[in-house]
Amino acid sequence: MAAQPKALPVETRNYLRGGGLIGWLTTVDHKRVALMYALSALVFMAIGGIEAMLIRIQLWSPDNHFLSASVYNQIFTMHGTTMIFLVVMPLEIGFFANFIMPLQIGARDVAFPRLNAMSFWLFLAGAIFLHLGWLWGGLPDAGWFGYANLTERYFSPGLNLDFWVVGLLILGISTIVSGLNFFVTIISMRAKGMSFMRMPMFVWSILITSVLILIAFPPLTVGLVFLLLDRFFGTHFYVAAYGATPILWQHLFWLFGHPEVYIMALPAFGMISEIVPVFSRKPLFGYPMMAYSIVLIAFLSYGVWGHHMFATGMGPVADSAFAITSMLIAIPTGIKIFSWLATIWGGSLRMTTAFYFALGFLLEFTIGGLSGIMHASAPIDLQQTDSYFVVAHFHYVLFGGVMFAILGAIYYWWPKITGRMLSEKLGKWQFWLTVVGFNGTFFPMHLLGMWGMPRRIYTYGAGLGWTHLNQLETVCAFILGISFLVMYINLIKSTASGEKAPADPWDGRSLEWSIASAPPAYNFARVPEVRGRDAYWVMKYGRAGSRGVAMFMAGQTPPVPESMQAAATGPIHMPAPSIYPLFVALGLMTMGVGLVIGEWRIIILGSITLLVSVVAMGFEYPTYGQEPHDLEELAPSSGGIDLRKAGLWAFLGSECVFFASLIATYVVYKSRNIGGPGAGILEIPLTSISTFALLMSSLAMVLALNAIQRNKKNLMRMWLGLTIGLGLVFLGIEAYEFTHFYHEGLSMQTDLFGQSFFTLVGFHGAHVTIGVLWLATVWFASFSKKFDKSRALSVEMAGLYWHFVDIVWVIIFTLVYLMQQVKGA
Amino acid sequence: MSEATHAAGAIEAHGHGAEVHHPGAGIYVIVAAFLCVLTAMEITVFYVPALKTVVVPVLLVLAAAKFALIAMFFMHLKYDSWTLSAFFLFPLLIAFVLLFALLMLFAYLAHHRG
Amino acid sequence: MKRATGFIRAAMLAAAATLAGCAQGRELPMTTLAPKSDLAVWIYRLLIEVSLWDALVFAIVMVVFILAIFVFSTRVGEAAAPWSAASDLKLEVAWTLGPALILLMISIPTVRTIFRSQPNLPPNGSLEIEVVAHQWWWEFQYPGKDHIITANELHIPTGVPIRLSLKSADIIHSFWVPQLGGKRDVVPGQINELTFEATVPGMYPGQCAEFCGESHANMRFRVFVDSPRQFAEWEKAQSAAPIAAALIKDPAAAAGAQAFSNSPCTACHRIDGVSKGTIGPDLTHFGSRATMASGIESNTPAHVAQWIINPGHVKPGAQMPAFGLGGKQLDDLVAYLESLK
Repeated sequence: MAAQPKALPVETRNYLRGGGLIGWLTTVDHKRVALMYALSALVFMAIGGIEAMLIRIQLWSPDNHFLSASVYNQIFTMHGTTMIFLVVMPLEIGFFANFIMPLQIGARDVAFPRLNAMSFWLFLAGAIFLHLGWLWGGLPDAGWFGYANLTERYFSPGLNLDFWVVGLLILGISTIVSGLNFFVTIISMRAKGMSFMRMPMFVWSILITSVLILIAFPPLTVGLVFLLLDRFFGTHFYVAAYGATPILWQHLFWLFGHPEVYIMALPAFGMISEIVPVFSRKPLFGYPMMAYSIVLIAFLSYGVWGHHMFATGMGPVADSAFAITSMLIAIPTGIKIFSWLATIWGGSLRMTTAFYFALGFLLEFTIGGLSGIMHASAPIDLQQTDSYFVVAHFHYVLFGGVMFAILGAIYYWWPKITGRMLSEKLGKWQFWLTVVGFNGTFFPMHLLGMWGMPRRIYTYGAGLGWTHLNQLETVCAFILGISFLVMYINLIKSTASGEKAPADPWDGRSLEWSIASAPPAYNFARVPEVRGRDAYWVMKYGRAGSRGVAMFMAGQTPPVPESMQAAATGPIHMPAPSIYPLFVALGLMTMGVGLVIGEWRIIILGSITLLVSVVAMGFEYPTYGQEPHDLEELAPSSGGIDLRKAGLWAFLGSECVFFASLIATYVVYKSRNIGGPGAGILEIPLTSISTFALLMSSLAMVLALNAIQRNKKNLMRMWLGLTIGLGLVFLGIEAYEFTHFYHEGLSMQTDLFGQSFFTLVGFHGAHVTIGVLWLATVWFASFSKKFDKSRALSVEMAGLYWHFVDIVWVIIFTLVYLMQQVKGA
Repeated sequence: MSEATHAAGAIEAHGHGAEVHHPGAGIYVIVAAFLCVLTAMEITVFYVPALKTVVVPVLLVLAAAKFALIAMFFMHLKYDSWTLSAFFLFPLLIAFVLLFALLMLFAYLAHHRG
Repeated sequence: MKRATGFIRAAMLAAAATLAGCAQGRELPMTTLAPKSDLAVWIYRLLIEVSLWDALVFAIVMVVFILAIFVFSTRVGEAAAPWSAASDLKLEVAWTLGPALILLMISIPTVRTIFRSQPNLPPNGSLEIEVVAHQWWWEFQYPGKDHIITANELHIPTGVPIRLSLKSADIIHSFWVPQLGGKRDVVPGQINELTFEATVPGMYPGQCAEFCGESHANMRFRVFVDSPRQFAEWEKAQSAAPIAAALIKDPAAAAGAQAFSNSPCTACHRIDGVSKGTIGPDLTHFGSRATMASGIESNTPAHVAQWIINPGHVKPGAQMPAFGLGGKQLDDLVAYLESLK
């Protein structure tokens, strides 16, 4: 194994060239990964766009038979799923955040480059997976929101929804890994001097988006797992006949779904906050408030999911609470709109295409925000929800807002990314076509909604007064389609024969403009030292009162700062390529296919691929980060928190939300249980023993860490062995307990108690198993000669995970076992 | 998974040795003893009928104490950077909010079953 | 050309509708802007109130936007240096508190309407009706001594509070009659309520508003708001057994009656005194209904025949199988069904 990352000569060519096909398949360069995201997303954007056109053709006239009901349902389901998961998120997070954020914080890559590549391959696998149902009779057709219990096997017997469930799970893993990666990158890898309050606003938005991803995706995962169990293993998580309720899905889904709106909107806010100051030639107005409002929006967005469910009958108290929290979000959002306007006010405006789109964003997003206030008011929402008014609203937010920002960002950052300029002329054409097409398509939907046209209907009757507006919308939708054709032409022309882009075409303010376009593989020859907000601007012009002010006022271009011209002082270490991320994704996808089509040999093939790739990835670079010259240049701005430890803690935080979703389900369903043995079957003496074993294993674990920190390897191995042993005792007791229950007549399929008990405790057991495997890996690795005090971190990491598993058991033991007689909510 | 970029390596190799002031084995054993005592108390509460009325709050307090002991000492959040605690405590707070909110929402639904 | 005038008409209609609130709702039978019940009026008033606040905010943003771009922008070197003050506490406080105040103004009537529109118990003297949603049709049951059961056409009187109990036979649906008020989801395992009092007699179309599978778009229904006298008549006609006299007069219908009671139809459809099926719509007074197939077609013999020949063709995914009837048997059956007034 070519274990050592290569030292690159500083004059290495830009990241786009070299390596061939294998180079792209094995790349871990954040820029190449980003570009692969962009390419895939642009392809899916075309697919999603065609789906939109088909929808509009079908709605041209009443009682139209262009598409059948079944095909229409597939098309609108895939339009939503595609645009959200395969276009907007990969463009914003996979592409722009991945490419630009490390450049803006002065980093050479993200924190975990191989995990970054893995995120991409998992994304692609999940995206393809969603469409695989097509080969087996049809695409998913239950809406992007997939409301239970329509999604139960009884009502939707096809494989299409199986592909949807598993595809979304794969996409979820990809997204969580990305979120974790970017979170740690921003926390720990900022260049010297880049404090939080000096970060570009786009970096702020990605930081908070990552946090949202970490806390919002677990409920979706849990909801999908329940659905998977229902569809494949005969449980009844959403079946009313067993006392369960399909409303559970809606809560879990919207606990994810509403933060998801902000997962899409916050990066857009960040992009606008980059574009507006640059083309107004003014600093961002109210920077601190802009940062705090992002944080506040994210926090509030987690408490408003109920406004998607006003019609479900949550009761007046919950309705009022969710109405008020939803309205509160308007306050930080308003702050953002006004601050952008104040940034423009009095600025020296340069009317580029990027700025056009930013201005377009301001108006269209404001309209979307204002209609949002309408259905934050629960009674009004009862008329508007599930009508075309809502379709209008969220397209104003997600297209007029998010997509306008993405288009602006494409025009803004394209020169940096590819080294070529885009045609401004085509850009302006695209802008006006988009504005006309977009407003013409979506504004009339407000009216149609108020005139009573429901969403998701493949046809409507004549005589309802909806026909003319629908025809207007269809015509405008085609104008919108043409505007995207113009963009694709512009992108292709630029790539083929565009004008070469200078390093700093817009007189930019942040660090990405300080390096060549396209950037070299290592980004920065010397990592810059940040001396203020708008880091590169300060480098170019200095602070107020300096010579640069006069230059700026005279309209002169400042020379490239000396510090940026300097060559590197030594070799630059870049992470070496790896093929395993690709195989992890392939393995998971193969497993999924096997599961869906019910072929266990394919599942085994996939599992082996996955397991081998994960283990191989773990042992790929055993000495990484140990070379002496790793110490040069980059002083941490983060108080010396290790990347891996930061990542693990953030992951454990995410796990808290995961288990909270499971525990909530358990408590609710235990109280709704009908018949069956119930919680009385649980045995306290037996589980007291396993609780004791797990607690003692935690003690052994810390003693093992203590030993290796004092360089006592044998002692460490002994304590670690004891930890593993006690873990196995715990698992053994659990296995006995499960089989015992099974013989007593309690299984996953028996009743609500059975299914939620086995799922919760089973997931914990799975965590214990992974913990045991992890500890065993460390135990074996400790026989290597190189394993000494300096490797204490790998013991500590495994230990943290182990203690977390213990903590979860503390909660489960109390809530599930000791409170078995307590009546639920 | 030992993976980190170049920059990361610097931080790790630098920061780690200096940062760690983990407690000694003695403290660990004392904490473990506390954990055992708390667990014994929990089980006692379960079996003593007289405590039936207060069983929920008592058990919750005891579990919270165990939770905190493990997080603070075994996971040495007490000795590590505050940032790491924040990474964990914020989602934990969110998790509790989620749990509480869902229980309240479903408690209302329980009156409307049909 | 014709298309262009169509668009102009649509645009004018749109403008007129917004201005006049589309007061009649005749051109737009499913509009939410022509409320015909107390509930719909409350929501409509709230909508107007919020819309005015929205318009105010939008106007402010527009004015600032236009001023910022066209009036107060500068040339490089002219006025604002890039180092100019990038914050202003007073401004920021203003645009935090301003919206907060507006939201307060909105949230008070919002909360009041929420509580007002969801009374815990049915109001005094209210007419209680059970609504059961099926994939893809609606069943309406009037408990009480006569126990009327009908499908896809709900009759209610004006001037009496209506209390609907919503239940689902299969999956989640949503009950929505735009002119009579907001939606309420129909959730399996749960009983939701909708309370309102209709004010203006008329026929109001409704539709399922929660995606419920293949024929979600075809899950329509009608609400007939009758004057109290008309309603009493309707109620009386519905609680009687279907008129046997028609059968005697019409030999085809009589033959159809025979055919029906010997057919698999009886397994799913109930006709009072003839069959007891509960899976499909109750047909006891089928002939008295204006529409069929959950409101997607008018109730004519031709449509009924078409439906019986192939239900899935009229309503994709319909659970009723095609029985391959034809000729005289089909005609008889249609005649019988249409005679069930």
